[in-house]
Amino acid sequence: MTSLLDIQNLKLNFKTVQGQVEVLHGIDININAGEKVALVGESGSGKSVTARIILGLLQELRQARISGEVYFDGRDINTMKPKDCAKLRGTAMSMIFQDPTSSLNPVITIGQQFTEVLRRRNNKLAQAICDEQATRMLNDVAIPDAQRVLNAYPFQLSGGMNQRVMIAMALANRPKLLLADEPGTALDVSVQAQTLTLMRELVNDYQTAVLLISHNLGVVREFADRVYVIYQGRIVEDGPTSALFANPKHAYTQALMNAVPRIVGTGLAKVPEVSDAFLAPRITHSDVT
Amino acid sequence: MSLLSLKHVSKTFFTSSGNVAAVSDVSLDVKEGECLAIVGESGSGKTTLANMILGILQSSKGHIHFNNQPLSSKRTAEQRRAIQLVQQNPMSALNPKRSVGASVRLGLDTYQIGQKSERWQLVEDALEAVGLDPNLRKRAPAALSGGQRQRVGIARALACTPRLLVLDEPTSALDVLVQARVLRLLNTLREQHNLTYIFITHDLAVVRNVADRVAVFQSGQLLELATTSDIFSKPQSTYTRQLIGAVPVVDAAELALRNKLAKIAS
Ligand SMILES: Nc1ncnc2c1ncn2[C@@H]1O[C@H](COP(=O)(O)OP(=O)(O)OP(=O)(O)O)[C@@H](O)[C@H]1O
Ligand SMILES: Nc1ncnc2c1ncn2[C@@H]1O[C@H](COP(=O)(O)OP(=O)(O)OP(=O)(O)O)[C@@H](O)[C@H]1O
Ligand SMILES: [Mg+2]
Ligand SMILES: [Mg+2]
Repeated sequence: MTSLLDIQNLKLNFKTVQGQVEVLHGIDININAGEKVALVGESGSGKSVTARIILGLLQELRQARISGEVYFDGRDINTMKPKDCAKLRGTAMSMIFQDPTSSLNPVITIGQQFTEVLRRRNNKLAQAICDEQATRMLNDVAIPDAQRVLNAYPFQLSGGMNQRVMIAMALANRPKLLLADEPGTALDVSVQAQTLTLMRELVNDYQTAVLLISHNLGVVREFADRVYVIYQGRIVEDGPTSALFANPKHAYTQALMNAVPRIVGTGLAKVPEVSDAFLAPRITHSDVT
Repeated sequence: MSLLSLKHVSKTFFTSSGNVAAVSDVSLDVKEGECLAIVGESGSGKTTLANMILGILQSSKGHIHFNNQPLSSKRTAEQRRAIQLVQQNPMSALNPKRSVGASVRLGLDTYQIGQKSERWQLVEDALEAVGLDPNLRKRAPAALSGGQRQRVGIARALACTPRLLVLDEPTSALDVLVQARVLRLLNTLREQHNLTYIFITHDLAVVRNVADRVAVFQSGQLLELATTSDIFSKPQSTYTRQLIGAVPVVDAAELALRNKLAKIAS
């Protein structure tokens, strides 16, 4: 079976004021249709840039040098024309960005932005139908006063409302691949649970594949079939969620698991020294658990 | 002694599609040296309340006192330095055209903190304290990761040596190891300088481990306010119980405990 997304030996360099920095050191990730996969790891380790490469966005940045293969639906995003790649965004793949308030357009109302998104898939869609669909999708993400939200600009909404707007837009066109970068950070836990259910429905009904980027290991455990752990631009451990949580093997994954704050109130975790063991080779759990 | 006191504070926004009562008649006191967590529904007015405490927004009704002085719309430089905010959205909090080091430095210059010659050193110290490589100071905010930007926001606020720090979702973009490091730093500063925190977050496990008291908000109103151990052992409102019951956890032991907490008093 071929994967929907197949990333091979992906490397990324940035040119900065202080010279070249290598951010991704050759990572491999694959996701099948209908699969829910999580990418977790250190802040600054390369999760969001990976998502932006999959979308073909980082390729347009002059300071970025990218090598390796990123096959989406059989075609390599890295060698695709920017124009062709742009056609995939918002239709075959969509993304919930990490910083919702600054990722939405500040000078256009939410309603207009929604219409734009829906018309990417069908440019003849009547305004009334766009509004009706947008209202329904906003209700789905627990926004009852959809009319006010559609008339609002992002600055008039709370952080979590913008995040829900972004989620609703990303789900609207039923993409083949949904990239969800920290989708629940501004949501209370009950709304967060509701949005995860929506994503699950999309997976079940349309075989959408999801790449979930999250620091919330509880959410990852509840949502993902499989997990990749990334540390400093390298995948250090991967495997089925249950196996990885039951028996984390890599030193970095173990340190991460030990630092999860507990609702029991056992105090803040001790922060271990950064150890050479964090850079040990990748460990892959076999598929049988 | 209470450092910050809110009396019947309300905020209504007037928009083309009607009035939004974002904060309704909130009264509460924050004691010097305490960590008060604010949790609650998304859209329940937490950020709006923070913005009123900071003077970014004017309240529609009510009074706010800091250190026994009323906070008017015109604040003294000392009042502005003493109350700092870590914003929920770090990207819009930082000037995109300025290097992040310059953004941190700006506060030091504005409030004349330290000798001029030592301020770059203070900037680097502040970045290192939150686990950032000081070399990152030359970068624009767009060339950082989400969690790196968030830590710049924390470093910037701390560098101004505030007495009251309002933190709006300050660790939502941090992995749990870096988060533990930042929370430990905040604890240490509190012990050393008697700093006071208002900690707005959706992460109840963090609340459990850092806060002295918890205020629960719903629809612009203060629903429940109690010590952290009381909130978790005998939550009074259905909503609070619901929140506790929906916390995602990492193992079966936690799950059992969470479900027990959520059921108590129901
Ligand atoms: N400038 C504004 N104009 C109009 N309405 C606003 C404005 N700012 C906030 N609101 C509204 O006030 C309410 C409270 O928003 P606020 O940002 O305080 O919520 P919050 O509790 O911080 O939510 P979250 O957890 O999602 O960040 C929301 O309904 C929001 O739409
Ligand atoms: N334009 C850029 N120029 C130079 N370095 C960059 C640029 N954009 C990102 N980086 C660096 O690339 C690394 C990876 O960034 P990325 O945003 O992917 O991190 P992340 O894993 O998403 O972290 P977080 O959990 O904090 O969001 C970071 O160290 C960041 O500083
Ligand atoms: Mg990121
Ligand atoms: Mg907010």
